[in-house]
Amino acid sequence: MAVPVTISHVDAGEVLRYMGCPPEKAGGELRALVEDCAKELLSVVRPRWSWREVALTHEAEGVRLESGLLLPGTDLKSHLAGCRRAVVFCATLGAETDALIRRCEQRDMGRALALDCCASAAVEELCDQIELELQGKFPGCFFPYRYSPGYGDLPLQVQGELLELLDAPRRVGLCATESCLLTPRKSVTAILGVSENKLEPMHRSCLGCPAREGCQYRKAGGHCGT
Amino acid sequence: MELDTLLKNSSPILLDGGMGTMLQAKGLKLGEYPELAALEHPDWVLEIHRSYVEAGSQILCANTFGANREKLRRTGKTVEEVIPASITLAKEASAGRALVALDMGPIGQLLEPTGSLDFETAVDIFAQEVRAAAKAGADLVMIETMTDLQECRAALLAVKENSDLPVMVSLTYEERGRTFLGHSPAAAALTLEGMGADVIGVNCSLGPKEMPPLVEELRRWTTLPISIKPNAGLPDPGGAGYDITPEEFAAAMAELTDLGVKLYGGCCGTTPEYIALLKKALEGRTILEQPRHVPAAVCSPNTVVAIDRVRVIGERINPTGKKLMKEALRRGDVDFMLGQGLEQMEAGADILDVNVGLPEIDEGEMMVRVVKALQGVTDAPLQLDSTRPQVLEKALRVYCGKAIVNSVNGDQETMEAIFPLVKKYGAAVVGLTLDKKGIPKTTQARMDIARRILDTALSYGIRREDVYIDCLTLTVSAEQEGAAQTLEALRRVHSELGLKTVLGVSNISFGLPARPLINQNFLTMAMTCGLDLPIINPNMGEMMAAVRSYHLLMNIDKEAREFIAAYGGATISTSITAGAGQQAAAPGAGERSLSQIVEAGLRGEAGECTRKLLETTDPMAIVDDILIPALDKVGADFETGKVFLPQLIQSAGAAQAAFEVIRQTMPAQAEGTEKAPIVLATVKGDIHDIGKNIVKVLLENYGYPVIDLGKDVDPEEVVRAAEKYQAPLVGLSALMTTTLHSMEQTIALLRKANLNCKVVVGGAVLTAEYAKQIGADFYAKDAKQSVDVARQVIG
Repeated sequence: MAVPVTISHVDAGEVLRYMGCPPEKAGGELRALVEDCAKELLSVVRPRWSWREVALTHEAEGVRLESGLLLPGTDLKSHLAGCRRAVVFCATLGAETDALIRRCEQRDMGRALALDCCASAAVEELCDQIELELQGKFPGCFFPYRYSPGYGDLPLQVQGELLELLDAPRRVGLCATESCLLTPRKSVTAILGVSENKLEPMHRSCLGCPAREGCQYRKAGGHCGT
Repeated sequence: MELDTLLKNSSPILLDGGMGTMLQAKGLKLGEYPELAALEHPDWVLEIHRSYVEAGSQILCANTFGANREKLRRTGKTVEEVIPASITLAKEASAGRALVALDMGPIGQLLEPTGSLDFETAVDIFAQEVRAAAKAGADLVMIETMTDLQECRAALLAVKENSDLPVMVSLTYEERGRTFLGHSPAAAALTLEGMGADVIGVNCSLGPKEMPPLVEELRRWTTLPISIKPNAGLPDPGGAGYDITPEEFAAAMAELTDLGVKLYGGCCGTTPEYIALLKKALEGRTILEQPRHVPAAVCSPNTVVAIDRVRVIGERINPTGKKLMKEALRRGDVDFMLGQGLEQMEAGADILDVNVGLPEIDEGEMMVRVVKALQGVTDAPLQLDSTRPQVLEKALRVYCGKAIVNSVNGDQETMEAIFPLVKKYGAAVVGLTLDKKGIPKTTQARMDIARRILDTALSYGIRREDVYIDCLTLTVSAEQEGAAQTLEALRRVHSELGLKTVLGVSNISFGLPARPLINQNFLTMAMTCGLDLPIINPNMGEMMAAVRSYHLLMNIDKEAREFIAAYGGATISTSITAGAGQQAAAPGAGERSLSQIVEAGLRGEAGECTRKLLETTDPMAIVDDILIPALDKVGADFETGKVFLPQLIQSAGAAQAAFEVIRQTMPAQAEGTEKAPIVLATVKGDIHDIGKNIVKVLLENYGYPVIDLGKDVDPEEVVRAAEKYQAPLVGLSALMTTTLHSMEQTIALLRKANLNCKVVVGGAVLTAEYAKQIGADFYAKDAKQSVDVARQVIG
């Protein structure tokens, strides 16, 4: 069972980047807005998570979990090369976060954007903590970075079955819509490979970034530099 | 034997324990569907049920927890295959010794507003389960492990509309005493008893030791029997198990007899051993049912508002005499209503009245949209206000919580049309003291009507506490003797009938000068006569001041806490006209020019600065010479990378505040000069719409009326709106690659309809190339570009 995790801060630089503003170009007022929104957000988030260890089989069309669920595609397969086990987990900030952002959109869109980006950063922070917590359960092992549906060629369509495997609707109140989007919105499912052998160091790069799809730097052909 | 018979008996009723735990012990593998056990491992299911009967269970839950069509989709089996087989097994095992319940758990997708599942779809999914179970001979339905009160409502309605079976409803709460979605036991109790549940309870998530506060809260808000089915303690942090033994479980459960819990069982981690020991622990105990009285109250899923002091009903969401709201309703601009709602809540309203009646719009459809949207952004209980029963029914169906229906009157026909709805959906109701003959002149005649309304309501099974009487305010300039009559009737309804009272206050002063003065004094007089629910404009400081002063003077606001919180440190204007003057004199305003304010994105200053400018400048000149150039400058700086998205949005927000002030002062002039509208939608399947909402703000800044269809929008709805509003431009957004195909479909459908409109698309995953490929006319890479496109297409 998952031990409680609390989020005590979000990275303002990350938030600014998600907002489409290079941190070094953010003025005092914008920074103050981000700080204020981060504080408000952290007062309403209710982080919850659930996890399960599974054995993996590498098959021609992808990686099969012990439960029988196939995670199709070549990207995850090469990502998990060398891992015979993995931890599947999900995490959510809870429905209150969505409600806060929804409410704010009616009153002040600039603030709503900042809150939304704070929430994205908070989910990442939550996942970082969970990852550390989980790594602690496998002393002496090595871990590639966490990998989520939607990265590379791993389709979002596996979302529902991953949640089911984690008993997520009942344990943490996390569900997927018919079109495979997670609700509450500020949530993640991920698979963390576990290897007994040392792995080639990997850059997390844009692949694992939550701002990946909407990133203005990427659209312009660049990179944010982290 | 029936549930009713068991409930009448003074003994506790024993339920069963976990099914999933037991199936795993029998050999169910990870990844196997437990719902299919009746088909694939019938012997296991039979044995498990039998062992619970042996242990003493008087009600068995059939193995149907997740047997809804959404969850079964992946299994290739149907509801009609799984449910009858599961019920039959339970009945076989019980052999008449126990009742068999259809166990109905959550669908597995979240309903609106957190998720995207529509309420009526949810009702339909549950209805299919109920019909299959009723046909297979289930004795009752147990709705359980729910985290969303709205999903409970859908399930309960499905039971009521498709069977005569008794029904138990149970939610699962976290240690903070709320569900995952933040819903409270109090709101669940009020709402579900109102809608006709037979038993209300708590199951799963927590252990028996965590039950008492939840049970106590339920007891305060329902007269129904209470059931509990906790887990075998709290989850053990070290492993997958739970932290208490069968003996501890039984002992902790037995203590709950003192709280009057009637039905006892177990959820995750409990086994027949737990139930057998529980039976022993409960042996010989009788459940002493002390009479419970549930006070008058209404609720949303998060907030219960007890009518135990003056509660303010905000009157602003009503188009009567409000030009801007009428325009918003015609364009389907729900955001306008949300803004009104949030503003009133901030000003101190407890409940919001919602009236969207306009002859030229579909009132029912609009009511549903506004109710859903309001419940997505505020926790306020709502008062559903319409003269049409079919509109009220639509609103009552989707409203989550216990609403107020506004209204019935003493006319028999009206009562016959409205009371069944009030009863079915468990609402409270406002009764107006008038009938076909009009408003009676005398106090006595109004009392007679109030009595008639009460008696008729009671005959429909509506609780006395849920009938609120409105003695009707007459305009004092027309009928000066009327005010005293109204107050006297109010006093008598309050003291002689003991009913809660409602009164629309603002009409009193119509046609007179210094209206706020009259309204404020009349409100105070009415409160001293026993008015509970004034319907007022809470944005008027004088009105809220009257309510707060009343609470202070009547010793309701203890130690003047609320009064000091509201007014401590503030200079209160004792003159009713000083408000605007004081604001204008506030420091800081006027130091910066409006264009500087917009460029800096200072929303708070923009409105006031505009108000001052309007004293000397033509409104159109402010728009054309100040606001639009300022926005253009920010837009150009955005394009060249001098400012970034947050600043662009903040400037748009500041400009929006300025426009709001201008629009209030010149709505009439806007006619004729208005630009052609733009339809915006986030496509079907996509629920991420913040980008679209940002675009909306920018477009509105440039004077384009926006028809915002929201998120997860059907392609057909986009076509309908484009046609209806003759929009020359449709904007579509999608955030996820998975929803791009809905965007393509929507464009194809627009083309097929042969409408004379251009399509602009945007969203995180889109590219110019892809936009072209799916047939869009334009691609906007950001909000600023969508304004450029609009200028190009519309001008």
